[in-house]
Amino acid sequence: MTESNTTDNNLTNKNSVSGFTTKLYLDKHISRRFNEELEQIRTLVMQMGELVEQQVNDGLNAVLNADEKLAKKVIQRDQEVNTMELEIDEYCTQILARRQPAASDLRLIVSVVKSITDLERMGDEAAKLGRNAIKLARGSFAEEEGSRPLVELKHLGHHVNKTLNQALIAYAQMDVAAALEIIKNDDIIDEEFDNISRLLVTKMMENPREIKNSLRVTWCARALERIGDHTTNLCEYIVYLVEGKDVRHSSIEQIKAAIKE
Amino acid sequence: MNIQDEEITQTVGNIYADNAKMSIRSADVFYGDKQAIHNVSLDLAKNQVTALIGPSGCGKSTFLRCLNRMNDTIDICRVTGQLMLDGEDIYAKELDPVLLRARVGMVFQKPNPFPKSIYDNVAYGARIHGLTNNKAELDEVVETSLQKAGLFDEVKDRLKEPGTGLSGGQQQRLCIARTIAVSPEVILMDEPASALDPIATAIIEELIDELKEKYTIAIVTHSMQQAARVSQHTAYFHLGKLVEMGKTEDIFTRPSHKLTENYITGRFG
Repeated sequence: MTESNTTDNNLTNKNSVSGFTTKLYLDKHISRRFNEELEQIRTLVMQMGELVEQQVNDGLNAVLNADEKLAKKVIQRDQEVNTMELEIDEYCTQILARRQPAASDLRLIVSVVKSITDLERMGDEAAKLGRNAIKLARGSFAEEEGSRPLVELKHLGHHVNKTLNQALIAYAQMDVAAALEIIKNDDIIDEEFDNISRLLVTKMMENPREIKNSLRVTWCARALERIGDHTTNLCEYIVYLVEGKDVRHSSIEQIKAAIKE
Repeated sequence: MNIQDEEITQTVGNIYADNAKMSIRSADVFYGDKQAIHNVSLDLAKNQVTALIGPSGCGKSTFLRCLNRMNDTIDICRVTGQLMLDGEDIYAKELDPVLLRARVGMVFQKPNPFPKSIYDNVAYGARIHGLTNNKAELDEVVETSLQKAGLFDEVKDRLKEPGTGLSGGQQQRLCIARTIAVSPEVILMDEPASALDPIATAIIEELIDELKEKYTIAIVTHSMQQAARVSQHTAYFHLGKLVEMGKTEDIFTRPSHKLTENYITGRFG
């Protein structure tokens, strides 16, 4: 976990002159004010991404370590994520009204508006982790240190977290190749989720008294799996932004073919 | 690579129309020794609006004026290449440019009504081309032309008053009525709304949208938003070359050429 902590803290700063700015030529407008406005949007989105990543991380740790205090913090901070969504939305609306952006600038605004919806939903899923963590911490599950479902959940969580971190870096760099790699690997997260589900169903059949807690772990796994899906969406927006191709609801082969066109 | 240095070797996108009213192939235009247009080829799709955009001095107006031989009046101007209207060479020796201009009408940036009455402004072309046989027919042409130009209701009670007394937007619609009165097939518009306020501009744009049902339209505009609003095809000119042409919906969301992108997003280049 400390691993990804070090990366995400640097997300905003490290890329201050990033692929995002250079690849999209954000600093090349005749209007310097417009350059600044787009740069501001970039900064805000990266900050929101950083916050959401932290929330997912904390939510997961709260579940795994039965940390009620951390869980409460996650639930509380979800409000910050929501506020950022509203702020960025408003900023984008202003740019649409005042600048009437076209081509890559237009694609930037459209993808940012969509990206922050996905980020906000990830925030909600993180808060779900928090709420389930509180209930799990009061149950017996947490005492079963090293129980199979929690170990699996930990794997899934770390995987989802790492993917989210990679996606945010890809976003900061507008790195299409990295985005494609993440889209391709979403299947692995889905498989991991299926494995946990199977495991928990077995557990519930063996020990009906554990159904309540098993369900809570299932919901946590489900939340993580959803975060994985939203992460994939972020990557699809990267492709749209850079290539101008809308690749939602396409297979990885279709996406690659669309880019080659 | 410096994007400004990128060379324009070939037009990107699609210059062809399924149903071309005018087809231009390898057009070059010279003013004396200076070449203003370099090897431009494109189609104007029938009953559609084609917008020509580009920075000042890119040759878009020069190109537009070739389409009804307005450049003939400039002695040092020389046009080469194939410029066809319905498959007919418009620069053919036997072709009368006056008749060509009746088929390919033009509306200019500044409204330029004649110092005559509203009625006479519209009737002028029909009279000199002898398109009508009597007063009743001429009245009919004037009324329908004014109606098509969306001006009739505003001026029906003062047809005898001078056209120059109208507002800028009305004058421009009067000029459009004058163009329509000789039943052209193509209407060329050189920044028809750049001297008008937003309301008058919106009315002209609405009119363009209606006019395309009957006429093929090419419009030069400095307003990218206007090009995006009124046209189905957009051609981007730069330094006398046609850089990119394509469907307007594509040009304004995902242009292929960096120069087009730079221009429509207001970047250096």
